[in-house]
Amino acid sequence: MPDDQDRKDFAHGVPTISVSQGSTLANRTGSWKCIQPVYQDRIAPCNAACPVGIDIEGVMNLMRLDRVEDARELLLRENPMPSVCGRVCDHACQRACSRALFDEAVNIHAVERMLGDRTAQPRMSAPPRTRTEHVAVVGSGPAGLACAYHLVRLGYSVTVFEADPEPGGWLRYGVPEYRLPRAVLVREIEFIRAEGVAIQCGVRIGGNLPWKDLERFDAVFLASGARAREGFEWQEQGLLDVRPGVDYLHEVRAGGRGHAGRRVIVVGGSDMAVDCARTALRLGSEPTVLFTAAREEMAADPDTVEEALREGVRFEFFTRVVGLQVSEHPEDEQAIDAIRNMFDSGESAAPGARLVGVACVRLQPEQQAADGSRRTLSVPGSSFVLPADTLLTAPGGEGEEGALPPDLHRRGYILKTDEFGHTSREGFFAGGDLAAEPRTVAHALGSGKRAAIGIDRWLRTRAGDAVPAIEPQALRYGGTGAMSVTRWRGDDPVHRTNELNEVVKFEQLNMAYFQHVAGTPDHHRAPGQSGADFGEANLGLAPDEALAEAKRCFNCGVCNDCELCLIYCPDVAIKRHSSGHGFSLSYKYCKGCGLCVEECPRGAMIMTREGL
Amino acid sequence: MKKVIIGNHAVSYGVKLARTEVIAAYPITPQTQVVEELSEMCASGDLKARFIKVESEHSAMAACIGASATGARAFTATSSQGLALMHELLHWAGGGRLPIVMVDVNRAMAPGWNVWTDQNDSLSQRDTGWIQLYCETNQEVLDTTIQAFKLAEAVDIPVMVVLDAFFLSHTSEPVDIPDQADVDAFLPKRVARQKLDVDEPHAFGALTTPAVYMEMRLRQQEGMAQAHDAMIAIDAEWGGRFGRSYGPIESYRTEGADLVLVTSGTITSTARYVINQLRDDGQKVGLVKVKMFRPFPTADLRRALGGVKDVAVLDRNISPGHCGIFAEETRAALYDLPDAKRPRVHGYIVGLGGRDVTPDTIMDCIAKARAAAKSAEPEPEDVWVGVKA
Ligand SMILES: Cc1cc2nc3c(=O)[nH]c(=O)nc-3n(C[C@H](O)[C@H](O)[C@H](O)COP(=O)(O)OP(=O)(O)OC[C@H]3O[C@@H](n4cnc5c(N)ncnc54)[C@H](O)[C@@H]3O)c2cc1C
Ligand code: SF4
Ligand code: SF4
Repeated sequence: MPDDQDRKDFAHGVPTISVSQGSTLANRTGSWKCIQPVYQDRIAPCNAACPVGIDIEGVMNLMRLDRVEDARELLLRENPMPSVCGRVCDHACQRACSRALFDEAVNIHAVERMLGDRTAQPRMSAPPRTRTEHVAVVGSGPAGLACAYHLVRLGYSVTVFEADPEPGGWLRYGVPEYRLPRAVLVREIEFIRAEGVAIQCGVRIGGNLPWKDLERFDAVFLASGARAREGFEWQEQGLLDVRPGVDYLHEVRAGGRGHAGRRVIVVGGSDMAVDCARTALRLGSEPTVLFTAAREEMAADPDTVEEALREGVRFEFFTRVVGLQVSEHPEDEQAIDAIRNMFDSGESAAPGARLVGVACVRLQPEQQAADGSRRTLSVPGSSFVLPADTLLTAPGGEGEEGALPPDLHRRGYILKTDEFGHTSREGFFAGGDLAAEPRTVAHALGSGKRAAIGIDRWLRTRAGDAVPAIEPQALRYGGTGAMSVTRWRGDDPVHRTNELNEVVKFEQLNMAYFQHVAGTPDHHRAPGQSGADFGEANLGLAPDEALAEAKRCFNCGVCNDCELCLIYCPDVAIKRHSSGHGFSLSYKYCKGCGLCVEECPRGAMIMTREGL
Repeated sequence: MKKVIIGNHAVSYGVKLARTEVIAAYPITPQTQVVEELSEMCASGDLKARFIKVESEHSAMAACIGASATGARAFTATSSQGLALMHELLHWAGGGRLPIVMVDVNRAMAPGWNVWTDQNDSLSQRDTGWIQLYCETNQEVLDTTIQAFKLAEAVDIPVMVVLDAFFLSHTSEPVDIPDQADVDAFLPKRVARQKLDVDEPHAFGALTTPAVYMEMRLRQQEGMAQAHDAMIAIDAEWGGRFGRSYGPIESYRTEGADLVLVTSGTITSTARYVINQLRDDGQKVGLVKVKMFRPFPTADLRRALGGVKDVAVLDRNISPGHCGIFAEETRAALYDLPDAKRPRVHGYIVGLGGRDVTPDTIMDCIAKARAAAKSAEPEPEDVWVGVKA
């Protein structure tokens, strides 16, 4: 009881009230329970969905606390290329975001982009070399760069060999400037270099540097990618006007103009198809994309399809090419009569022949046949001809394999690796488009990190050093997500409690504590400007807008010190942890009422049978 | 700074200046604007208080009790049915000696459903162990709200500040709003004499046997007696700092009066006007305003009314089956005066359910009192004035 000696007042000292003489600590209400809550963080669905393996929830929480620089550091632990991902990743994280079931998903990629673009404090020095081993990486696409980055951070020396004159893989020679400005890519590659990664360009392994030369390295990561070229039946007919879209993009990316005519037809539904069309538009052509099914079925990121439509790209859905029309004298208007339908005759084009039209039919939406198979039927009498000067092919399917050592073969497109990316050859790891990965930048980055962990584990084991006793599953967010290097290192800077590697479900969150707040979508260049040149089309969010987006995050599954459990516990069995973060439960007094489990807005309290 | 504000907002400003730490309330007409304004002050950060939204007045008072028990300065506001719903908890607050401040905007009890002013709601809570202070103007509302915290905390007894529905709650008047620094000097942070401590927990409101219960009540009663003196001292200190004070009762033009009106709330202002007129006519009438109803200012009333021939008490309330409650209490207070000094007390029921009490109504009461004074027959204890035939 407080001393009231020095309180001069009208009363009486301590008023007489009914209060127990003894402390109620004697009353161990904990003995009443048969079920008990456990204070346990779970995994946010976004974390489990990101193919890179970013602790998105952790980043958002640091942003909520206005610790933006710490948020950036946490992001960079798992992803060396946030500015790139924030622009070109199709953000699976947002499709998984719990907030989408409440109002709108958090605009995660814009937050990532903003953090990536933020000018960072310059680093004093690269991470120290704590290991003696030296690792070679073949290919400097996102997979190779990620693996190299994580390896140097784990203390290794790494050299990346790149056949092209500049590093970046498809990011440099595929993804167009208006989606990924060169300067942004270069900045992130420079960051990776500054971390201590050596990149040697113009070195083709198996070409000007024999595979044998890699034997001096302790381990090798193969990330030579895949080039999707095949898949168009008329490509062999000697027509210069019919070309793989990938070559067109590569040429433009390398500084050329791509040599396309005025009327450009792009065949396909992939990101590459959309990129070809938008690139052609910017070079003054009139592009049309032909796709065999509905818009929703395109493999391309729906956001970029939307942007392309806004810019004026034409789309013909449910359309299939059935023939090409060529002329040997296209400049002569009269000679149009001389057009032959080469598809019908099956002949090759004469030298000097030019494309003048593409014959098409309309398709009916796919039908389910009686035997369960799906059939596509053309609409009778729907054939038509689109005038065309250039046809670019951009299939979404499998590509040509990248370079592999002569003794390492793969069956079909499957290069078999174990859960750490280790191939059948000792010390050779693989990732990215080359391995059996979905062909995205995020998967490439995630597979590079996975291999870095695998290489670290393999080299440590070989050297007889201590290896963290952690199951591959436990390295993955939620057991099935991408691997976390922080988990591998066991040095999470973010406080977590009794972490349970289980993704929290929406039903386990308590929406009573959240208010509807509309999300902020990305800004775009004005329709008149976008499409006119190669300036960036999607402008992302301003820093304050991105911060506001981050603050919409629920912090799914992870305690953020909101104190609601502490407020609700009728037995004062929950107390602030002495560390200043989180809470501790006193089972002597918790009587198992479950109020904390019910109230926790983010599912960080779990009810269990007592003793479990 | 002077502002033209409604009575409800005068409460809100008072609560803000008192640096209240916890506010728990449930909306009810005519009180709602009090907490509406406070919730905005909390949302904007002007007031650093925890605003707890609750599902009933019962919970509002429960939350205030919890908050006050931990040593926080707690506030709520209500009216009529809401106050009635709190009834059980008012005892817990009073008996628990928790210095909570509550504003009750006087509103008639249902049925029939009525949102207008009437004192039956607050007077029904007479015996719950709360100090009750009735206000006449918006300025008095603001001043009393701030004083109430100091008073409550001085004697560990909760205080109910009462104002009339609409006549004050929704009527704008110029109000002088003191500076925060001056209020801080008057009302420092609460230092609780005993409080709930989770590190050294005790059961509050524990079993109290016949061996000790009576002493506990006696201490409460002594606290009430101290509250009377404390109110005078605190009000005087306020007067010194801000130039306004009120006292448990106020005598107005009672010099040489043979008839004195006793009023509370806004009827007082109308009565002042009537008294001025009658005094101009040379009549010897005066007025006593009762601000403090609990603890009842018995000694003050004896001093003010002892020796007056006739006293007319105007009650905007009725204890069904008996009479007006102020009249009843005034009679009881004056009964022990020696015969020569004991006035006759006439009780008038006026203005129930928000009916206007006009100068004519008051003149009517005075005429009735004058007539009764001439008669040797005792008047009925409750004379209803302003009722339709
Ligand atoms: C036009 C286009 C648009 C795309 N848009 C998107 C998009 O919006 N979002 C998305 O997520 N993904 C997109 N992708 C896919 C994405 O770019 C790839 O999945 C990703 O780049 C694969 O990375 P990687 O590191 O495995 O391979 P790559 O990026 O292909 O890099 C492989 C590197 O290895 C080098 N190399 C090959 N052989 C050798 C050798 N023998 N010696 C040395 N070096 C060698 C190559 O020169 C190349 O630089 C797009 C692809 C294209 C083509
Ligand atoms: S890399 Fe892609 S999936 Fe991962 S957080 Fe960024 S946008 Fe989301
Ligand atoms: S609300 Fe936040 S933590 Fe939850 S899924 Fe969305 S971004 Fe992740």
